[in-house]
Amino acid sequence: MSVTIGQGSLIETAEELYENAPCGYLSTLPDGTIIRANQTLLTWLGFARQELVGKNFQDLLSIGGRIYYDTHFTPLLHMQGFVNEIAFDLAGAGGRPLPVLVNISQKRDETGRPLVHRITLFNATDRRQYERELLIARRKAEEASEELKRLNETLEQRVAFEVAERMKAEEALRQAQKMEAIGQLTGGIAHDFNNLLTIIVGNIELLQRRLPEDAGRLRRAAESAMQGARRAATLTQRLLAFSRRQPLDPRPVDANKLVAEMSELLRRTLGETVVLEAVLAGGLWRTQADPNQLENAILNLAVNARDAMPDGGKLTIETANARLDEAYVAALAEPIPPGQYVLVAVSDTGTGMDKATMERVFEPFFTTKAAGKGTGLGLSQVYGFVRQSNGHVRIYSEVGEGTTIKIYLTRLIAADQADDEVPAATAATVRGEGETILVVEDEHELRHYTTETLRELGYAVLEAPDGQAALDIVNRHPEIDLLFTDVVLAGGLNGRDLADEALRRRPGLKVLFTTGYTSNAIVHHGRLDPGVNFIGKPFTFADLAAKVRGVIDAGAAGPASAP
Amino acid sequence: MVSVLQRNNVKIMGQGRQPMLFAHGYGCDQNMWRFITPAFADSYRIVLFDHVGHGRSDPSTFDRARYGTLQGYAEDVLAICRELDLEDVIFVGHSVSAMIGVLAALQEPRRFSRLVLIGPSPCYINVDDYVGGFKREDIEGLLDFLDSNHLGWSSTMAPVIMGNADRPELGEELANSFCRTDPEIAKHFARVTFLSDNRSDLPKLAVPALILQCSQDAIAPEQVGRFVHESLPGSRFVQMRATGHCPNLSAPEETIHAIQDFLHDPVPTKYAA
Repeated sequence: MSVTIGQGSLIETAEELYENAPCGYLSTLPDGTIIRANQTLLTWLGFARQELVGKNFQDLLSIGGRIYYDTHFTPLLHMQGFVNEIAFDLAGAGGRPLPVLVNISQKRDETGRPLVHRITLFNATDRRQYERELLIARRKAEEASEELKRLNETLEQRVAFEVAERMKAEEALRQAQKMEAIGQLTGGIAHDFNNLLTIIVGNIELLQRRLPEDAGRLRRAAESAMQGARRAATLTQRLLAFSRRQPLDPRPVDANKLVAEMSELLRRTLGETVVLEAVLAGGLWRTQADPNQLENAILNLAVNARDAMPDGGKLTIETANARLDEAYVAALAEPIPPGQYVLVAVSDTGTGMDKATMERVFEPFFTTKAAGKGTGLGLSQVYGFVRQSNGHVRIYSEVGEGTTIKIYLTRLIAADQADDEVPAATAATVRGEGETILVVEDEHELRHYTTETLRELGYAVLEAPDGQAALDIVNRHPEIDLLFTDVVLAGGLNGRDLADEALRRRPGLKVLFTTGYTSNAIVHHGRLDPGVNFIGKPFTFADLAAKVRGVIDAGAAGPASAP
Repeated sequence: MVSVLQRNNVKIMGQGRQPMLFAHGYGCDQNMWRFITPAFADSYRIVLFDHVGHGRSDPSTFDRARYGTLQGYAEDVLAICRELDLEDVIFVGHSVSAMIGVLAALQEPRRFSRLVLIGPSPCYINVDDYVGGFKREDIEGLLDFLDSNHLGWSSTMAPVIMGNADRPELGEELANSFCRTDPEIAKHFARVTFLSDNRSDLPKLAVPALILQCSQDAIAPEQVGRFVHESLPGSRFVQMRATGHCPNLSAPEETIHAIQDFLHDPVPTKYAA
């Protein structure tokens, strides 16, 4: 029974279903010759039926697809009688590609001989698009995973690198801490030593002044004692230099000029077997440093170099302008700001040193020289001085080749300070004229020595063991012309506090500081505050005479004494 | 260490003494000989194998450099012969394996008695006057096709051999279970195959050869078969009625008869010594 509405039947014929199926149908002979195609496929391909029938199915494929078909699918078809879901692009009318998924099954006769290939084709335009997106996504995922892997590897490398850097930094820190600890120790010893030496020197001087002219033997003994004391004072200076607690007197320095002026001294120090060569850069910047200490440093290096060249050799002193960049200074254990520096390099052609030696060479009393040949303080002085001057020192050495030590000192930019090479205080003949001096010193013997010396020089002397006692005296004695105080005092007030308070009560009071070393109070970061009057311990009779006279005679109160 | 027999999935059957060594071509595996070998199993010792990367060979032994030319595949053929101590071998090679057999026989001519070359091509690309059937860009197109057909390929052709060793049953379940190919190796093999040029090797061959030429073979057109025939002195050329590139599958009887005729013929005098 058939149901009809108007002209059309509701029951579709197999023919209608075949022609209008949502997939393409093809029938071919086993060799691929097309014998039938449905309307759906014709529509997709844009061919008329007679255009397609009689053609070879393989002719609809690209050459690549054709090879693929012949080499892969023909064998499969013959062996298993079907193939499923092969992705092809068919060439439609005008060469327009139609992406399809192809299923093929063989219809065989009773002997198994293939008769016809039934080919079903699904329009795979959308699917192909998904596949492409999927492929791209997969490729991206693979790339991302690859990238991640690379990142991980990089990360591992970076971690290893950072750990190594960290260990290096820790090692450097340990080295720096060791140097700091040794510095504190030596600084402390030197400080006490200086106090003792001041007493010794002072009393020897007293002896020398008071001994009768004809006491020849005693005078020689005193002279000998004085020489020993002076050598001891030099040693303590070096210790202080290493501990970076020596009072520095930084001034504008032309390193070229300084080296040139040292050349005669150096030649004599080096002896005849060592050739001295100075390579001085033109246009060398000026630096800000204590010229005496810089000379000491160069001399120390020259002595070391000489001792490293027992059979003679060449000593080269070079100067140059240098720029230390961020990277360079970042790697230093004891950091300095990046920027412009003046380089003074001392090189020898001597025995050189190994790494272990290089690590210890700045330590005080470390020496490679035979017992009695060196103090082990030369390089310590260099190190301490340079560090205290905010500079940088670097050793390069090869065993058997020689050693270069480079000192980097900050470039002096400001030109406001004149190249004033003030002649050192001279002559012991400047005497007091009855002015009153208040001596504040917590160490009894030292105070005694100082007051005695000042009285001998012609001053009226008041004394106090600490700051509070000193202020009481200041209150009661308006005649005081000069406050001479140790920077470090027992009993609460330090020398600077005392000076500040005394100046508050007695504006215009002159102040002279002294110390074996000083950390903060008067010598800021080891430098003299401009204008502050200072005499370092141990001071001699002559030093003290000249300094005290100078301070009292100076005009109004110095800048530091302004309230 | 993978043995040669494992590496190439070598299978031996048949009652005879003289070995017939069957080598499949590009895109297939030893299954493609299933309609041919029964005809020879009574009289010959049948040796089948899969090229590395195909069928059930061990893909872990694949080495791009070793298999960078057809010579690498010829070495495998010789290795199988040595391993099984094969002498007097009748080598039957389809498609690219025809040339692989020629290369093997050039290297060890005494081991081979006859070569059967089905759809051989010494050079697939047209060079000067030589007509190989393809332009170079056609072959590049094939390689592109293999690249872009990767998904279609993997969903149909490749019960992925590599990386799926723990679930071998997957392969069995897939519809297109014959002619497994590792997609990456197949691409490499396609490149090596279709860019090969072994024309100059042909005249050196000193083993009697049969050339089976199909009709309408797009891969190895008739003029290529004739070129092979002319380049191999004393070779026999048989033009088959079978169409396409795989007469061993589409026309097994015709193929069997042609091979039997060749094997029953006396050795041409040129080679008799």
